[in-house]
Amino acid sequence: MTRRVLIALPKGRLYDRATGLLARGGIKIPGADGTSRKLVLADEEGKYEFVPLKPVDIPVYVESGAMDAGIVGSDVLRELESDVYEPVDLGIGRCRMVLAAPESSVLPKGGALRVATKYPRTTERFFRDRHAHPHIVRLDGSVEIGPLLGLSDAIVDLVETGRTLRENGMRVVEEVAAVSAKLIVNRTAMKVKSADIRRLVTQLDTVVYEDR
Amino acid sequence: MGERSIGLPAGFRDIVFDTAERRRRIEGEFAAVLNDAAYREVVPSMVEYLDLYARGNQGVRERALRFLDRDDALLALRADFTPAVARIVAGRLPDLHLPVRLWYSGPVFRKTGRHSAQYRELAQIGAELVGGLPPEADAEILDVALECLARAGFTDASVHVNHAGIFRGLVDSLGLEPGRLAEIRSAIDRKDMRALDVRLEELGVHGGVRSQVGALSRCVGDERALEEAAGSLVNEESRSAIASLERLASALPRWKDRIVYDLTEIDEMEYYTGIMFTFLSPRHSAELGRGGRYDTLMREFGADLPAVGFSFSMDALGECA
Repeated sequence: MTRRVLIALPKGRLYDRATGLLARGGIKIPGADGTSRKLVLADEEGKYEFVPLKPVDIPVYVESGAMDAGIVGSDVLRELESDVYEPVDLGIGRCRMVLAAPESSVLPKGGALRVATKYPRTTERFFRDRHAHPHIVRLDGSVEIGPLLGLSDAIVDLVETGRTLRENGMRVVEEVAAVSAKLIVNRTAMKVKSADIRRLVTQLDTVVYEDR
Repeated sequence: MGERSIGLPAGFRDIVFDTAERRRRIEGEFAAVLNDAAYREVVPSMVEYLDLYARGNQGVRERALRFLDRDDALLALRADFTPAVARIVAGRLPDLHLPVRLWYSGPVFRKTGRHSAQYRELAQIGAELVGGLPPEADAEILDVALECLARAGFTDASVHVNHAGIFRGLVDSLGLEPGRLAEIRSAIDRKDMRALDVRLEELGVHGGVRSQVGALSRCVGDERALEEAAGSLVNEESRSAIASLERLASALPRWKDRIVYDLTEIDEMEYYTGIMFTFLSPRHSAELGRGGRYDTLMREFGADLPAVGFSFSMDALGECA
């Protein structure tokens, strides 16, 4: 009667780590390694169905109930302010979201500051908590070029190793948030498909905490 | 003018033919049940002062579709029925016999994010029981709601029942300063119990109290979930809330297999003061409806009366029929 649990997988940098984690939790997905061209992939046991999606779309699908669950970075989740459950911090895709500026620069105070970012809402919340209201410029790619070309004084972006920042002559001013991938679950699905979803949560939770 | 005026603004739609007929039929079944149970229909105004929504469920005011009156007063399209019903009852109190039983059906309008999957016009049907106390009034409102669902053919629908006092009592017993409570409530609401436990430990919350939070997060199921919660929670407010759910359970034997006790939810908005519940169907990916007890709302309209009510989404009912 109840349909199978639909789970969104993030295309891109998290994809292999997410499917790897699922496999170690006992959820094997034939074709998930790119050998299948199907849009929907079933796991071996036929409990779950997986749909690879662009990460930024995943919270939208899960919040609306079009998908029951998904794996997505907390950077995207906080930016969209999605109303979903986050029962497991998967610990993959760890990085930091930071405020960064050119090495030599002194940041202007208050409203004069211009910040370029892919995360305008997160950036606004970060500065609002510090009672500051900079001008935020929303960009879609290569944010670190903003200050080089005079578009902005600073950036808010993800940093894994810090190499990109260093190579572009920038320094970290302050950490905005620690980022990692989360399992997210639709509020209604958690109740209506509770047995399957709780099993998924336990499987992932067990693998994640074996590693720590 | 031109093409733009023929289409619809984002977030609105026409309901036609089969869907319209299905909704009319469901509304008819619900109305018959409600009228039989001595609930009387009210049709609150479609336009309100925006400030009506400063009372009651916080968050509705921000989401109301607003516009200006001739004298520049801020008006809103109806964004919620409950405050309007509270006003209607409070304004007519001398002439009403308590408890007052009312039902309503119609659209409410709420802002959504740009390009959201949500609609801005939502069809609702619901009822309020003002001036009645638990457990009788709570049992009555759930009985009526479940009868509406049954009569309209939603035979596989269930209701997840909880009590706001259970988590409130536990959160109060954590001994945290008020500034931390919002953070902890929202962490409980996200259900990452490991992260929550780490955070509570950082804040110096005793292990014995932390383990109660973990235990409560697993209390879902039949009446045994209530026993389990009663066995692990020690504070008085939580225990008395569990006891009132046990009384509710014994008052509703007829619906025993329709009721799930789900104590894992926190009322993050702090709107409800007693029972709170959600109607669900395995055939639908969104909740069918919700409701609960809000004993402080009527006071904001100058009448200190307890109240309990429910409201169904006609959009969800129509899609799942």
